Amino acid sequence: MGRTLRLWVVACACFTAAAPAFAQQPSPAGRIKVVSGDAVIVRGGSTVPVQNGVAVYQSDSLRTGKDGRVGVTLSDDTQVSIGPGSEVRLDSFVYDPGRGQLALVLKFIRGTAAYVSGQIAKLAPDAVRLETPAAIVGVRGTTLGIEVTSD
Amino acid sequence: MRRLVLPFVVLVLAAAGCVPKKAQTPQPASSNLVVLLPDPGKTTAGRAMVSNDKGSVELNEAGAAVTVTSGAAPKAMTLAQSDVQRIFGDALASLPPSPQHFVLYFRFDSEELTDESRRLVQEVLSVVKQRPDPEVVAIGHTDTTGTPASNVELGLRRANAVRTILVDAGLPASSIAVRSHGEGALLVRTADGVFEPRNRRVEITVR
Repeated sequence: MGRTLRLWVVACACFTAAAPAFAQQPSPAGRIKVVSGDAVIVRGGSTVPVQNGVAVYQSDSLRTGKDGRVGVTLSDDTQVSIGPGSEVRLDSFVYDPGRGQLALVLKFIRGTAAYVSGQIAKLAPDAVRLETPAAIVGVRGTTLGIEVTSD
Repeated sequence: MRRLVLPFVVLVLAAAGCVPKKAQTPQPASSNLVVLLPDPGKTTAGRAMVSNDKGSVELNEAGAAVTVTSGAAPKAMTLAQSDVQRIFGDALASLPPSPQHFVLYFRFDSEELTDESRRLVQEVLSVVKQRPDPEVVAIGHTDTTGTPASNVELGLRRANAVRTILVDAGLPASSIAVRSHGEGALLVRTADGVFEPRNRRVEITVR
């Protein structure tokens, strides 16, 4: 319980980081926008409960149970959602168009996902890489469905 | 078969910048499906390229798909709409509402909206109110009259004026991020010291 509270304090503190006074702190890569059923964020070996508005950071994974679904919008407008029994990891996210620093690497680990490209794909398509266990997907302004099954 | 799979898995992990901790453990073969879908609210689709070290396939119309198994070349196929729904229905239904963009324009050297933009504010508010958990980014911009430093301040005053309008309409201040690019990101490129109404703006993203 104490841990949940602490996570909330951290989440709130990071939300405030959007204000100019805290511009030096790392800002979230995105926010959870849609959630139902069993879904968590996996962050450095521990899990964070998922609710609407919760921040997502680079290196986070989204993971769902058998009835879970979750959708996130990243700060470059990229949208990613996963269906039940799925996992996707935000391996890399850098969105600083003013300095020309752009990178998005998503790793689709299992289950089903939908992806809608955002500003990074528009500004620098080669900075976007979607990885599945057996292939790498490059995009040019694109909406995709991706399924990963293990034999 | 394992001899083929393992080097590829190592390659994929290395490409992701990870050093595999148990390189000696063979990964189970993975079967992947990638399908190109129409962009939200459109019938047209973008393009995508699915590749591995055995080959690559380009997707360039809605329904175009690729299956690929570890260690084998990607294979092109077409996915019927009914199969898209069966496989991806849950994921697609969980996509957040599309981000929307607005541009509000301001009077010269002022954080006062033009009359036309004052009307557009109502549209911004209605989009914001349709969302369960709206998140707004407002970035202020100026034309090139005045100094760069004073324009950063002016851009911030403009973005804050937008924030005030949204907060007065009931949006929590914590869900609005405000920034200024001053004269650093012109919509219409001009020389220094040029009056340009189209550059006096706040760009709004609603997510």
